[in-house]
Amino acid sequence: MTYSRIASILTTVIAIGLAFAAVAGILTAMRLDTYRAFGVILAVFITPRLLLQAILRGLPIVLATLGLAIAFRMNFWNIGAEGQIYWGMIAATGVVLAHVYYGYLPDLLVLPTMLIASFIAGGVWCLIPAILKAKLNVNEILTTLMMNYIAAYFVDYLIYGPWRDPHGYGFPLSIPFPKYAKLTFVAENPSYTGLILSIILAAMVYIIFRFTKLGFELRVIGENLDAARYAGITIPRVLMLGSFLSGGLAGLGGLSIVSGIIGRLRPRASPGYGYTAIIVAWLAALNPWLIIPAGIFFGGLLVAGESLQATLKIPNAAVQILQGIIFLFIILGEFLKRYKISFGGGRGVR
Amino acid sequence: MSSHEYLVEMRGIVKRFPGVLANDHVNFGLKRGEVHALLGENGAGKTTLMNILYGLYRADEGEIYIRGKRVKIRSPKDAIKLGIGMVHQNFRLIPTHTVVENIVLGLKEVGFVLNHKKLEQEIRELASSYGWSIDPSAKVWQLSAGEKQQVELLKALYRRAEILILDEPTSVLTPQETKALFNAIRRMAEEGKGVIFITHKLDEVMQVSDRVTVMRKGRVVVTKNTSDTNPAELANYMVGRPVIFTLQRKPMLPGKEVLRLKDVYAMSDKGVLALKGINLRIRKNEILGIAGVAGNGQIELAEVITGLRKVIKGKILINDVDATNKSPREIMELGVAYIPPENLRWGLVANLRVVDNLFLKAYRYPPYSNRVMINWRKIYDMADELIKKFEIVTPSKFTRTRALSGGNLQRLVLARELSGIIGGGVPDLIVAAYPTKGLDVAATEFVRKTLLRYREMGSGILLISEDLEEILMLSDRIGVIFDGRIVGEFKAEEADIERIGLLMAGAKVEAA
Amino acid sequence: MSVEWMASILQGAVQIGTIYLFASLGEIYAERSGILNLGIEGMMIMGAAISFLFTLAYGHLAAILAALVIGMVLGLILGVMAVSLRLNQVVVGLALTIFGTGMSGFLTHPTIRGGVLRTLNPHIPESLLMIQEAPKLPEMPIPILSNIPIIGRAFFSHNILVYISYILSVFMWFILFKTRIGLSIRSVGENPGMADAMGVNVFLIRYLTSMLCGGFASLAGAYLFIGFHPFWQEGMTAGRGFIALALVILATWSPLRAIFGAYLFGGVEAIQYRLQVKGFGAQIPQFVLMLPHIVTIITLTLLSFESVRKRLGVPAALGVPYSREEA
Repeated sequence: MTYSRIASILTTVIAIGLAFAAVAGILTAMRLDTYRAFGVILAVFITPRLLLQAILRGLPIVLATLGLAIAFRMNFWNIGAEGQIYWGMIAATGVVLAHVYYGYLPDLLVLPTMLIASFIAGGVWCLIPAILKAKLNVNEILTTLMMNYIAAYFVDYLIYGPWRDPHGYGFPLSIPFPKYAKLTFVAENPSYTGLILSIILAAMVYIIFRFTKLGFELRVIGENLDAARYAGITIPRVLMLGSFLSGGLAGLGGLSIVSGIIGRLRPRASPGYGYTAIIVAWLAALNPWLIIPAGIFFGGLLVAGESLQATLKIPNAAVQILQGIIFLFIILGEFLKRYKISFGGGRGVR
Repeated sequence: MSSHEYLVEMRGIVKRFPGVLANDHVNFGLKRGEVHALLGENGAGKTTLMNILYGLYRADEGEIYIRGKRVKIRSPKDAIKLGIGMVHQNFRLIPTHTVVENIVLGLKEVGFVLNHKKLEQEIRELASSYGWSIDPSAKVWQLSAGEKQQVELLKALYRRAEILILDEPTSVLTPQETKALFNAIRRMAEEGKGVIFITHKLDEVMQVSDRVTVMRKGRVVVTKNTSDTNPAELANYMVGRPVIFTLQRKPMLPGKEVLRLKDVYAMSDKGVLALKGINLRIRKNEILGIAGVAGNGQIELAEVITGLRKVIKGKILINDVDATNKSPREIMELGVAYIPPENLRWGLVANLRVVDNLFLKAYRYPPYSNRVMINWRKIYDMADELIKKFEIVTPSKFTRTRALSGGNLQRLVLARELSGIIGGGVPDLIVAAYPTKGLDVAATEFVRKTLLRYREMGSGILLISEDLEEILMLSDRIGVIFDGRIVGEFKAEEADIERIGLLMAGAKVEAA
Repeated sequence: MSVEWMASILQGAVQIGTIYLFASLGEIYAERSGILNLGIEGMMIMGAAISFLFTLAYGHLAAILAALVIGMVLGLILGVMAVSLRLNQVVVGLALTIFGTGMSGFLTHPTIRGGVLRTLNPHIPESLLMIQEAPKLPEMPIPILSNIPIIGRAFFSHNILVYISYILSVFMWFILFKTRIGLSIRSVGENPGMADAMGVNVFLIRYLTSMLCGGFASLAGAYLFIGFHPFWQEGMTAGRGFIALALVILATWSPLRAIFGAYLFGGVEAIQYRLQVKGFGAQIPQFVLMLPHIVTIITLTLLSFESVRKRLGVPAALGVPYSREEA
């Protein structure tokens, strides 16, 4: 642990602390029961039952963020995680529908197929802006952002149209997923499945970063494009492969939503997970092992928000404010880190 | 209101950069109504001196007087207020805006609402008074290089600049445009303005200047009236007498050809031709030194050979294999090593560790990796060896590369390129671009010794350098590059400093 | 498709389009100076929420002013972080959006709203504390002009904010292209180094455009509520802020073209509502709704070609923090 590493973590912790303090200030100003509110939030992380919920709700965040870690490492600004999540949901639902109506696969293979399908769907959705960037240098921030809307509207179309549950009383919902298409099929509690999935994928991302040629190339491209060319790296190829993996992981995030949390497909199934993931990626400094606790943390905030609203009548939105302020303070903390590093010397391990 | 004879006086200017004394007690004066050429090779200190005058740099010592008054110039804004305008080699214009918009940007006098018609008229008149017929309403991207330069000049002239600094202005111009520029410059001088003209081309100095100051290695060598001198004398001043060689170069018999360029043409980044029909060849056990002032195509030459730039005409053969327009990786695999200029920008990734940079190219080849995974164990072991062999001073192989000193960075590059971790053995061709620039004495010595060692071991080396002494010291053959062409070739024994100097400065010399 | 129906659509296009118009006008100025404001969605919804609360507490004028102020404050935060601290604009913008969305939902929540309203106006009548709606901005048809068939209803039978938006668009186009300060703004977004060298205060300009963008985004939200749909719903901006980003690209950063784009988007939305009412369900319009985004991607691609970029391109320094480098 070097000096700069400690300082870095300290800054992040202080930032989160200050954010909590700020929100506490707001709650108190509104004459709300701040003490109990924080009690509720804390309870989520201490109570096993609630913690498991936090893990489950944080699962899409973790998966999408792992994907973003790959993209951001090579400086590809994938703002389209949200759309890639949606396509993951679409692909997963598509497999379920195909199976229910046409019975192509044995029940046991449905989940694995959904896994593969949602990965590929998300991957392809990210590949399109990546190709535009690789071949024509089109700014990916704007293209990936637009792709989110196209994906969301497409889900709307499907749910209001051909994929609407005929027995759903006209509500915009797909058919509920059968047992073998849900995460509960794997283990009684989907949170465990989710946690294991997170760990496996985080490990894979870690291995990619640390031990594969791709991981090395991602880093070089992200740091110095000229040097990458000079080193003989085929930049378009890495760009496309990296984006495919990035979108694919986000797609898996979508699978976790329809298969793990909701149990069916509906419009606006993602409350902005893809955007939250961007900042969580930043917060976790693209480190796969930090991403898991960070994702669970924000999943926990979601659970806490609902709890706050139910028990204390504090609006769910308060948690969003907390989220926003945490993000802002962490970003400010980034400035301090940068400042410090240029002062305290750049020595130290990566 | 004194009308001093001297518009500009710079006295005792000293400017230090890490490791180099760019300006060594320089005295310079610009008279009213004169065109003053500032002549010298790159690294001579002329651009630094002018950057100080224009406020881009701050001098460490010395004083500046404008029109007899002592001034402090802290930024270009101060310079502009004093009536100084500078036209750089890369134009700072906004392509999507019109000529007028580029010229009047930031000026308070034009009023809140821009009266385009009036401004266009004013600019048109101003331009024509210098013989220019530029369309003020045209968008800058539509203009030729010469016209863009006119816009840059108009930027300064419209602000009533009396002192104009032009940095190597003719590098992007056609002969006709150069003529038009010189006419305009004469016109400015007639109006009483002072023009400083940075160049390394002798014929231009003779054509357009009234006085010329020659700089070399940060010092002013001489200031003379142009009419009192001639190209040969100036070339001599520019290049100086060679120092005693301190390194022994063993005579070697050159082997088979490793590199051949046939009539190669390539574009520069600015959209003009950088290489105009280059022919050269290098054989094993030989060093071909390319002498020339920076900016005459050297970088582009290195880049076309190493696959970083497209050749639009001609052929490149490496070991008799057609390597024209191959990718950097393919060229690497043909046995070519490249020591790039400005290693932190092009050749190294500053934030990665030393070991990562050592294997920046080799990581993908066995035994350091298989199809997917990298074998860090092997890499770490080899890295330790390389660090020892090339005497790289670093706390550890895991240190962030940016923490290393310039000399050690270059050793890192050498270790990576020359140690044979790709494909084993000695590289067939080494392209070394300005390999000792900015290095201290020890590091410079190390680099030169290393190049000579590899020459003996069988490599053919293309050495690009601004340091003529270095070229003379290391090369078996010397080629002089000027304006994208090889204008002279000499065997080391036949090297005639004076003629080389003249050729570097673009003078026409009869064949040996 | 009767004339009546067409007039109704056009009127709806302008009605809804004004939301996009305000938002994109501000964003155009920000992006022209090199600032990409992804916080636009958060600023818009804050404007809507603030206008809701202030209308109930005081009235329309207070609501509009308050929205402007809050927008400028948020824009200032963006400015400080993006310009002076040179932090990544994408991340800062998203954080602001999340913050703004949360804050707006919080303040307008039934349990909190009462306290807020009472703080604003201690004399507020009890009946107003729990209602979800506020009085709408009155329609002000322009005499004579509003009687012209179709056009009259489409353009001259709106509330005052719409009329202000007409004037504002032309005004902002004029300033951007015909004045010295507009030239400075555009230059800062293309080549801040050059602008700086020529005496333009890059930092001040970017601060001002950030605040302007925030103010306008917030105004768009205020208009959305008091001028179009004065029934408060959490998240009622529904991503329109981000859509305004697309609009800015389609309009290639020109206020006049933004007018067409805004009404186009507005028209598409208007048609969607009408179709829904008629019972067509929400299916058909989805692909129509996608169209603007697809066209935006195509536009961006075309803009990347050298030949097009020279004429109409993205501001060259968009999204890149500026620092004066020591030479």
